[in-house]
Amino acid sequence: MPWRRPRTHVDRAREIRRSEEEALEEKAEHAAEDEAVELAAIDGASIVEAATGEPEDDHAPSDLAAKLGAAVEGVELPALSEHRAPPRRVRAAPPSEAAVPVVAGPEPHPEDGIDLEVEVARGLRLRNPVLTASGTFGQGVEYAELIDVSRLGAMVNKGTTLHARPGNPQYRIAETPSGILNSIGLENPGAAAVAKRYAREWPALGLPVIVNVAGHTVADYVGVVLEMEGTPGVVAYELNVSCPNVKGGTLFGCDPALAAEVTRAVKAETDKPVIVKLTPSAPDVVAVARACEEAGADALTAINTVPGMRIDVARRRPVLGTGSGGLSGPAIRPIAVHITYQVAQAVAIPIVGAGGVTCAEDALEFLMAGASAVQVGSATFADPLAPIRIVEGLAAYVRANGLASIRDIVGAAQRGRKRDAGTEYVE
Amino acid sequence: MILETGRVVSTEQVADLGTLIVVSAPLVASRAHAGQFVHVRPGERFDPLLRRPYSFNGIDRRAGEIELLVKPLGPGGGWIAERHPGDALDLLGPLGTSFVVRRATTHLLLVAGGTGIAPMKVLAEQESARRNVTLVMGGRTIHHLWPAHRLPLAVEYVTTTEDGSFGVRGRVTDALPSYLTWADQLCACGPWPMLAAIGRLREEAARATTVVPGKDVVMDAQIAVEQHMGCAMGVCRACVIVTEHGNARVCREGPVFSLGDVRFEGGEPATVGLTA
Repeated sequence: MPWRRPRTHVDRAREIRRSEEEALEEKAEHAAEDEAVELAAIDGASIVEAATGEPEDDHAPSDLAAKLGAAVEGVELPALSEHRAPPRRVRAAPPSEAAVPVVAGPEPHPEDGIDLEVEVARGLRLRNPVLTASGTFGQGVEYAELIDVSRLGAMVNKGTTLHARPGNPQYRIAETPSGILNSIGLENPGAAAVAKRYAREWPALGLPVIVNVAGHTVADYVGVVLEMEGTPGVVAYELNVSCPNVKGGTLFGCDPALAAEVTRAVKAETDKPVIVKLTPSAPDVVAVARACEEAGADALTAINTVPGMRIDVARRRPVLGTGSGGLSGPAIRPIAVHITYQVAQAVAIPIVGAGGVTCAEDALEFLMAGASAVQVGSATFADPLAPIRIVEGLAAYVRANGLASIRDIVGAAQRGRKRDAGTEYVE
Repeated sequence: MILETGRVVSTEQVADLGTLIVVSAPLVASRAHAGQFVHVRPGERFDPLLRRPYSFNGIDRRAGEIELLVKPLGPGGGWIAERHPGDALDLLGPLGTSFVVRRATTHLLLVAGGTGIAPMKVLAEQESARRNVTLVMGGRTIHHLWPAHRLPLAVEYVTTTEDGSFGVRGRVTDALPSYLTWADQLCACGPWPMLAAIGRLREEAARATTVVPGKDVVMDAQIAVEQHMGCAMGVCRACVIVTEHGNARVCREGPVFSLGDVRFEGGEPATVGLTA
């Protein structure tokens, strides 16, 4: 049964149109209801807009200035962006067999009553170990229009720098086998604008926010953290010492001493947990991990994207505007699991696994390798429900194997660790 | 927008333009407007990983169906084009902004290049009963043109082909100038060089003497643009172009922009700066 708009709205909209173009309307051969919908859509106002004068949820108005106000997130048009409505929660879908069930409200979830709680960083416990990776979940409000984000453990926001950045030239994205190459270039409106813009929206998400901090100098990192301190909803910082798409971006992450220096500097300015995101480009990633731990890091994310390139054979030049970019997706999962495994042997602080997680089984690989939690990134682009499916899958695994908690399998695959007889994996 | 598993109703090859796929997707269809798009998952696994964006080529709210015109390019487009009736199709949409035809418009000019015909065909179907509509379409050969019998009778259909196999020999821009003075609103969708050329023609037309007394030359011009896209949810910032108001995401602030707002550089979208 297709969704039907409320009858009253349709009638009112028709009256509006009738007064305008009566003669033309009579010539149209469509059924009255469909016609009204189309007529109301003509001038950019959807049927609901026409009837109520209020913007309708799904119909995007075309006023460019207003749209850009929201887009630049307060950089160029701060006055406009302030007027943006708080994020919409999951839209109740009309009942239909064809629709993917989007669950909201008091309905029970498969993960209810299952102990999925984990310590993602020292001093930071989350309801479950499924996080969203930086750059793939925006500021959380975007996907909140589509999925119930409050069922996730936490989100990591788009890499935030002290000052606004316009980002890299096109193309910024290229597909590769089981992966994506990207070179966005940390396009963001700057820390102050982010803090101002999302101070009200983040708490409304019901999802803890980890701010991804990027910069060129130690002072940049400290500056971002100082700007973000006190922003409601923020529970921790993730230091992006490894963005491959910014000149010098991997510098901090490749050198144990530099990584330790930036970690120490940020730790001195905040009481919130500080997570350092490791780069696979480091000559000795374990040494960087150890140095960060000694400098006071509360957790480590393993790993950021892997440098890569694609060539456009027809144009005889790289596809990406900057030449190379960062590879993500299932293509890098074995690399990420390996680094997680190695780092887990070297440090005592929690590890957040990241790299090509698409399903609960992928997440379990990271957890068994020694990660306390995982970040889901590229998979969300293909399937926006992937992060929630992973939460459900992990709950099913805990239940099917009679585990007391998901924590029981963290590091289960580590050599030398006493193993169980084997557990059954259930999707 | 919404996630909906559509069912393929029928597929059909439309000359060399692409495969026309009719999908039953009542939820998406009920919300869709001309110019908006759906992000289609090209498979059930994660290789290829990215969804493919397709502008609506048809919107039938009563039947709960949408039409997509799919070029079988690459592994993703190929998979989608090969769907059979009854197959499931994972849809995310409708996404982005739509064309807005003004109430006062009496002479609507639609310009299409290649698969850019999709939103123009939707507009032609919606508007031809209410206004004078002319659709100008350009293609490489006659096989790259939208078939005339698939358009409403009331639409004036002007075609150009680069090899002269049908209609005016040349490009759409060769047929446009006289219509630019005729129309009071223009909507266009096609390759970037075509859109840039329309922008130049429009400026020239605005400078020229008014042909029709008392009538403005095309003031309102809207274009739907293409860009390599990632999430289509506005988070990844892969599809950003430069506008008069700064960076804009094609998936959110677009794909429909005001022609005058979009910045071009040599027939291509202007380049985003390296650093602030």
